[in-house]
Amino acid sequence: MALSVEHFGRTYATAAGSFTAVADLSFTVASGEIVGLIGPNGAGKTTTLRSLAGILRPTSGRVRIDDYDLIEHPLEAKRCLAFMPDEPHLFEYLTVMEHLRLVARLYGVTDVVDRAAALVDELQLTGKEQALPGELSRGMRQKVVIACGLVRNATTLLFDEPLTGLDPIGIRRMRSTIVARAKAGAAILLSSHLLHLVEEVCSRVIIMDRGQKVADGTFAELASRADLASAGSNLEQIFLRVTGHDAHP
Amino acid sequence: MFSASLYIIVCSFRNRVRVRLQRLRQPRYFIGAIAGAAYLYFSFFARFRASRSSVARRGNRPSRVPGSLAAPLAVAPALGALALMIAAAGAWLFPVDSSLLEFSEAEQQFLFPAPVSRRQLLIYRIMRSQLGMLFGSAMIGIFSPPTLGVSRLRISAASWIILVTARIYFTGVTLARARLGASGRTRRVAWLPVSALAIALALVAGAVGAQWRQTPPADALAGLILIGRAADSPAARVVLLPFRALVQPLFSEWPGPYLIAIAGALAVLGTVATWVLLSDEAFQEAVSDVAERRSREPVKKGEPIYKVRSTGWTLPPTGRPETAFAWKAAMQTLRMVDKRSLLRGVIILVCLTIVAALMGQANGLASMLGAFSIAGTLFAILLAPQIVRMDMRQDLQHLELLKTWPVKASAVVRGELVWPSVIITACAWLMLAVATFLAGTMMTHVGLGLRLGGGAALAILTPALVLSQLTIHNAAALIFPAWVPLGNQRPRGLDAMGQRLIMLGATWLLLVLSLLPGAIVGGIVWFALQHFIGAAALVPAALVCTAIVAIEVLLATEALGPAYERLDVLAVERAE
Repeated sequence: MALSVEHFGRTYATAAGSFTAVADLSFTVASGEIVGLIGPNGAGKTTTLRSLAGILRPTSGRVRIDDYDLIEHPLEAKRCLAFMPDEPHLFEYLTVMEHLRLVARLYGVTDVVDRAAALVDELQLTGKEQALPGELSRGMRQKVVIACGLVRNATTLLFDEPLTGLDPIGIRRMRSTIVARAKAGAAILLSSHLLHLVEEVCSRVIIMDRGQKVADGTFAELASRADLASAGSNLEQIFLRVTGHDAHP
Repeated sequence: MFSASLYIIVCSFRNRVRVRLQRLRQPRYFIGAIAGAAYLYFSFFARFRASRSSVARRGNRPSRVPGSLAAPLAVAPALGALALMIAAAGAWLFPVDSSLLEFSEAEQQFLFPAPVSRRQLLIYRIMRSQLGMLFGSAMIGIFSPPTLGVSRLRISAASWIILVTARIYFTGVTLARARLGASGRTRRVAWLPVSALAIALALVAGAVGAQWRQTPPADALAGLILIGRAADSPAARVVLLPFRALVQPLFSEWPGPYLIAIAGALAVLGTVATWVLLSDEAFQEAVSDVAERRSREPVKKGEPIYKVRSTGWTLPPTGRPETAFAWKAAMQTLRMVDKRSLLRGVIILVCLTIVAALMGQANGLASMLGAFSIAGTLFAILLAPQIVRMDMRQDLQHLELLKTWPVKASAVVRGELVWPSVIITACAWLMLAVATFLAGTMMTHVGLGLRLGGGAALAILTPALVLSQLTIHNAAALIFPAWVPLGNQRPRGLDAMGQRLIMLGATWLLLVLSLLPGAIVGGIVWFALQHFIGAAALVPAALVCTAIVAIEVLLATEALGPAYERLDVLAVERAE
């Protein structure tokens, strides 16, 4: 299994004591699978993704990426992983191409020139290779972050709201890119509020609410669940029913 | 709009105070506040008490101005007026965006679409800037030397008028500059102040030139007095009148002369304010220009701007991760366009040169340069590691990204240290080389052998001293991330000042402790060899000391690896 999460939990210390953002979360993502991670604001999706990426330390549980434990073998696990956050954090003083070179160097990618050229074309960054992040729009910056994630052959890809700031053409291309990577064998976990995107590209969906997993399965499995049978057939209706918001218009 | 402006100012101030009081619940801020308060008390208020006691001892007799200060003080108003006039002229030559035209994003979003005139917006910005200017003028009052015998409150009031006038004047220049290229009457009106200033400057320069030719000054101080006297000549007095009116309250006796001078300064302030407020149309355009420029700028105010420059250093695809970090920091240095830092550097250099010139020891260009190089070397070695923050202190901003990289934690820490150490050491070596060769012109009693031996030893020790300090700072950033301001942040407040003082004290203490083993062993080596090879014994002693410090740094970076791994991104304070 490319990504395996067992009883993962994350608690934050607050002035009032502690706050559990995610509790007892377990799931797996197989190679070639695209799994959607959805939930209302504050459900714990970003905390989960940031913990899987090694940014936050899990308070409990285990995370394994390509059989490498993220805590015990962080370097090996991180080499197999690419995290594309919703907020593009870039070095303001490095150009687009230099970002790709830096990431390639850190991940041991030797054929960076060819890979970078292909990615620049794929993500419509042509002509922006020597631009600094400050000269790019929000959408372009997002594309650079995604390019940095894709420049190495990661076996597990984590996308947090990958379409934020992209134009319609960019959205279309990004969808194709995500699907193409899955077909090439990558395990993909995609968090998004765009339920139509999740419905379109994901083969399975995990719904979180208040730090808990409240549903996990393919659309057919979810639609056939006894408690959701009356909700409707599309993901939005299922989502609203599972999270208890379907009573409100 | 007036009441709305007042509402925003009062609410902002109240909320800022509330946030600062709330954060005192955290021990680090509480301890910082105590340290800051103690520093303020012992630095200023204890001085006030001492100064009051001295006044009480003197009775009501006026304070006696030291003889050496009598002549400069006599021409100080004229010099001050001249300095103001030069600054006023400089504003036309070296344009900068007026801070009164810089609206925050929230201000643009809420106030620009609101049904308020641009003139009202300018009044709002002037009102909004008062808190900062009142604080600035209070600081001038506190720092004013007691020998002047003038009340600090009166100095603060006089300084406040100068600061407000200057700020409004710079706004007027920004507005008028946009009209310099216009045609017809608008153009003539816009060029009027420029022409008046040019004529005034020419008149004063003529007066100074005439006196200079008549009696060339013997030294820098005499030159200053000569310029002051020239600026006090009848013709120069006329053209300097508005500037003189602004500085006069600083030098006037209480109560009558002071109050009259204040009235004169306020009249100048009123005239400048009227000039700016009458430029309503230009203001609208200028504000839009500045707002548009700001919106195009990628960075927030106070952060450096970067420009793509070819550096000739391409990161190879393979190699140690430390090199990648060094390359990254090098790109940052080479692409930074930070006018403020440049200005700060120039000011420091000028101050150091003036200090060197006034030390009396430095006669002639060579000795002045020598004194300056010594000061520069000490500055680079002891203070630059606190100032140059292109290491973990800045990269904590990118911690989320760094944490995803498959790089050994200790390699990350070492990588962050490499470039700042290289660049600071290079600067220090350059200064040291000049100092070693020119120090002989100042310190004639120190022989060439000792100078060369000492210089070489210090050159060897420099990387150790720099690396050691940088390691301490980076360790603090990893172990106490919340105490370290991120990037270009400069947290304000008494507690933040206290935190900085504690950090500085702790850094120096740890530096001494880290150098101790190396200094002891190096001292033994020097003692053993100095009978045989003289001053040259300093070189092997420094080598031994540097080697020991290098081992310490290596061990420290390894020890800091787990701290980096444990570091939670949430522990890093994003913004004040």
